[in-house]
Amino acid sequence: MLNVQHLRKVFGTVTAVDDVSFEAHAGEIFGLLGPNGAGKTTTIRVIATILGPTSGTASVLGHDIVAEPEAVRKNLGVLTAEIGLYDRFTARENLRYFGNLYGLGGDALEHRIDELVRILDMTRFADRRAGTFSTGMKQKVAIARSIVHDPPIVIFDEPTAGLDVLASQTVIAYMKDAKAKGKLVVLSTHDMAHAQALCDRVAIIHRSKLIALDTTATILQQTHAQTLEDAFLHIVGESAAKLDEQAREEQHLAQVAKKKRRGFGLRFRL
Amino acid sequence: MNTILTVFKKEIIDSIRDKRTLWTAVLMPIFLMPAILVGSLKFQEYQLKQTEAKPALVAVQPAGKAPTLVDFLKSQPKFEIKDITDIPASIDAGTINVALEVPENFESELHANRAVKIQVKQKSSNIDSATALSKVQAALALFNQQRVEVALEQKGINPETLVAIVPTTVDIATAEERGGFIAGFLLPMFIVLFAIVGGMYIAIDVSAGEKERKTLEALVLAPISRLRLVMGKYFAVAATASASIIMSLTSLTIAFNLFPPTFGSEAVSINLTAPTLAIMLVIGVILSVMFAGLLLSVAIFAKSYKEAVNYISPFYLLAILPVAIFAQIPGLKPTLAMFLIPGVNATFVMKDALIGEYDLTKILVTLGSLLVYATIAILAAGKIYSKESILFRD
Repeated sequence: MLNVQHLRKVFGTVTAVDDVSFEAHAGEIFGLLGPNGAGKTTTIRVIATILGPTSGTASVLGHDIVAEPEAVRKNLGVLTAEIGLYDRFTARENLRYFGNLYGLGGDALEHRIDELVRILDMTRFADRRAGTFSTGMKQKVAIARSIVHDPPIVIFDEPTAGLDVLASQTVIAYMKDAKAKGKLVVLSTHDMAHAQALCDRVAIIHRSKLIALDTTATILQQTHAQTLEDAFLHIVGESAAKLDEQAREEQHLAQVAKKKRRGFGLRFRL
Repeated sequence: MNTILTVFKKEIIDSIRDKRTLWTAVLMPIFLMPAILVGSLKFQEYQLKQTEAKPALVAVQPAGKAPTLVDFLKSQPKFEIKDITDIPASIDAGTINVALEVPENFESELHANRAVKIQVKQKSSNIDSATALSKVQAALALFNQQRVEVALEQKGINPETLVAIVPTTVDIATAEERGGFIAGFLLPMFIVLFAIVGGMYIAIDVSAGEKERKTLEALVLAPISRLRLVMGKYFAVAATASASIIMSLTSLTIAFNLFPPTFGSEAVSINLTAPTLAIMLVIGVILSVMFAGLLLSVAIFAKSYKEAVNYISPFYLLAILPVAIFAQIPGLKPTLAMFLIPGVNATFVMKDALIGEYDLTKILVTLGSLLVYATIAILAAGKIYSKESILFRD
């Protein structure tokens, strides 16, 4: 259903995704794992055609991401890490707008929205404007928005971030239900314990590269680990992982400093 | 077409619910433009009446030395003679506006038909004093003339032999032309202003606003092409700005009908006839269509409202400054090439329309060039929205 072939994405001098390949199939929950900044979100954005690949390609239900971007997007439901809503629209109006953009309308769309309001437990606030919502409420509407067109493939980027235990359970129940209905669920998360409980197969991305791709059980077996977290540390090496984190932190600070300097320069010129 | 309409409708509803757009695109043009235009005309009218009605306050010093002159001035309309001691202090205090200093032997010299030198003391930095001065000079000229006539008649000479010509000024400007001249300064500038301001907030809201609220990514994930997305947003911005121009022209027409400006005895009329309004409307709408593309293109570079306002401000000055400057140059005869400058060309055409002049070539050049700029603006916005580095700039 989802076929990623030697995908590479370069921003300037930074390679965000480096030769990543995997396949994911209908009826499974596929985990896209890795620490923050590993390249998961960029991979998703390239698959979802909102960023172009530098090289390599991917296809969704046989539709190539470069040749048929609109067909690809029609078949994908992507929950982005950013869950902004239109503040001056109610939850229902937010969903209706996106339903319309996906080519739905009329009674069919209204029924679908009612169904989502029920599944994600949004009855209490469905007709209120989103500007007043808590993070959890927004997250639910964002999830509903991503699946309003009932796509065969859903890609969730950190779907339970900002949700309390009960709400998380609702989302997890949805993912299991989607899998049971023969959809492909791609779960992108840094939370390996969470992934271990849910995913049939996982791809672990580290420093833009794919470092493991198999069923959860096989990975645990091969690394003699109890948890995916241990398995991850075993693969990259514990000290290497620490060094990596430090390097990432330093890079972040350097970037912030650079931005600041640029800001001053601009001010002087004005 | 359907998806463009979906985006358009959503943005219009969204902006109607936004107080900022409501203020800048609806309330400001409806109330501000008529208030400023009618208000400033009424103020000028009031000032004119005030100066006409105000008497000139004059002191003749030393007191009692020139009764002939004092009696003459008293006989003139709107003159008041005051007794004061300190001239500069009295002018500053407004007790008098102008002081005349006469020599001790004024009366005897006058009756001996010798020219008497007097000093007219005024203060050019004092507006009341400067206005009164011209009245005093006119009165003194009349005094001279009367004295000369009397003297000549006594000698049996016809006073008219001293006069070669008698000039009378007649203003042949029609009431429309006078009104157009006054409104021609402000009205076109307002139209250009509202073409930008009317669309400014919605342009920011649909572009930088999507980034600030973090809705942009979800939006571009929808299976709709970027060009259609931009078109929907574009039409919403253009429609809002056009609506604000239509509303401001409507409210202005109503305001001028309710409070017609009059300038003393001279008739002044603001030429808001059907063809003039039609020209201003068409040009205003095309202006807002053009600015909509520019605003969208500029605002998408920003990550937040605040940043977008910062980006738009210089651009806004760039658009409005030439208009303001050209509108202020009196008697400027624009060449045909100047009708290619966006904004400025609209001002010229509207100014002409306000004094009842319609030059088809100029109107067509203006419309044509504005349409070309509008097309370029739409295409540029479409291109910019396809650039991933701009949509996901961190």
